Amino acid sequence: MKMQSLLLSILLSIFCLTANAQTKDEAKRAIDHAQILWDQTIIAGHEWNTIKPLVAQAKQALKSNDFTKALALATQASVQSKHALVQAEHEKTNWVKNLPK
Amino acid sequence: MKNVLNSLLTVLLLVSVTVVYATPGQDKETFQRFYSEHFPDIAIEDFADGVYALDQDARDQWQAMNDFPPYEDDLGEGQELFNTAFANGKNYASCFKNKGENIRQYYPKFDSKRKMVITLELAINECRIKNGEEPLPYLKGEIAKISAYMASTSEDSIIEIVTPASKDELAAYQAGKQYFYSKRGQLNFSCANCHVQNVGRKARSETLSPALGHPTHFPVYRLKWANFGTLHRRFVSCNKQVRAQPLTGQSEAYRNLEYFLTYMSNGLPINGPASRK
Repeated sequence: MKMQSLLLSILLSIFCLTANAQTKDEAKRAIDHAQILWDQTIIAGHEWNTIKPLVAQAKQALKSNDFTKALALATQASVQSKHALVQAEHEKTNWVKNLPK
Repeated sequence: MKNVLNSLLTVLLLVSVTVVYATPGQDKETFQRFYSEHFPDIAIEDFADGVYALDQDARDQWQAMNDFPPYEDDLGEGQELFNTAFANGKNYASCFKNKGENIRQYYPKFDSKRKMVITLELAINECRIKNGEEPLPYLKGEIAKISAYMASTSEDSIIEIVTPASKDELAAYQAGKQYFYSKRGQLNFSCANCHVQNVGRKARSETLSPALGHPTHFPVYRLKWANFGTLHRRFVSCNKQVRAQPLTGQSEAYRNLEYFLTYMSNGLPINGPASRK
């Protein structure tokens, strides 16, 4: 019985460590991806001022080992960057709709 | 039927191309006519008063405040700075035509050799650099005070931006025009969405001012800032309000925007510096 409990504890610890490492990697990857998309919005000339703080907060959360929060913030930054890029693409041709009639 | 459709498409295409690639002169005419038709009781030159041309109550309060303008001290300081000699003995007057007096109405201008728009603030800093001085920060402080003094010497002079005609001038003008009409920021607003399509309407408690006349009164002393700010400082604020990342003062995009916007106000009198909320 004791042996069984010990084995279970070891397995549980390994699982937790792996999951933690996985989340850390995921968060890092998400931040890198967010950074790339953010850079693209700058190049497109349509950067939103809401993206920079999200990326900064995601990096801070990663430093503080709050990987879930880092992942969530980086994902949010990526979503916003994607919207900004859609806006940039849309405005390439649609800005003329705002001309005075 | 096919032929009719083709002809119709061609006409539509031609119309849209004409709208996008209208000449600057045509743009200005359409722009100024839009405001004249929208506010038939307001004389075109009164648009130089910005939002105070639209609201009599606000105008009365603003005019009463102008008996003792809040920028008086800063304007005096601007004059002093303008007349203070650099370390080499020269001063700002040595860099400009007419010794820097009564020239505001000609800025921004296009420098064909450098293929770029030169604003008054850029010219002020280039004057400093040429004379061995450090450039000043572009959005507020000394540069805004000096520019405000220079604007005051142009009071009632008519804005006279040379019509963009060369390929490079037109490229800068077109870039400024596109910036003005493009939606940006998380709120998805263009400059025109507020100052053309919704001019005169309220955004919270504030009346949206007409874009016609925007550049006539800068630098502006905003009560919110409690000091002078250049036109590019106002661009920064506008960008922030729609949650777009602002650009740096005197960036190419802002200079082109100023070029377009000022050309649209050609024919209006300079009445800066002025105070605003």
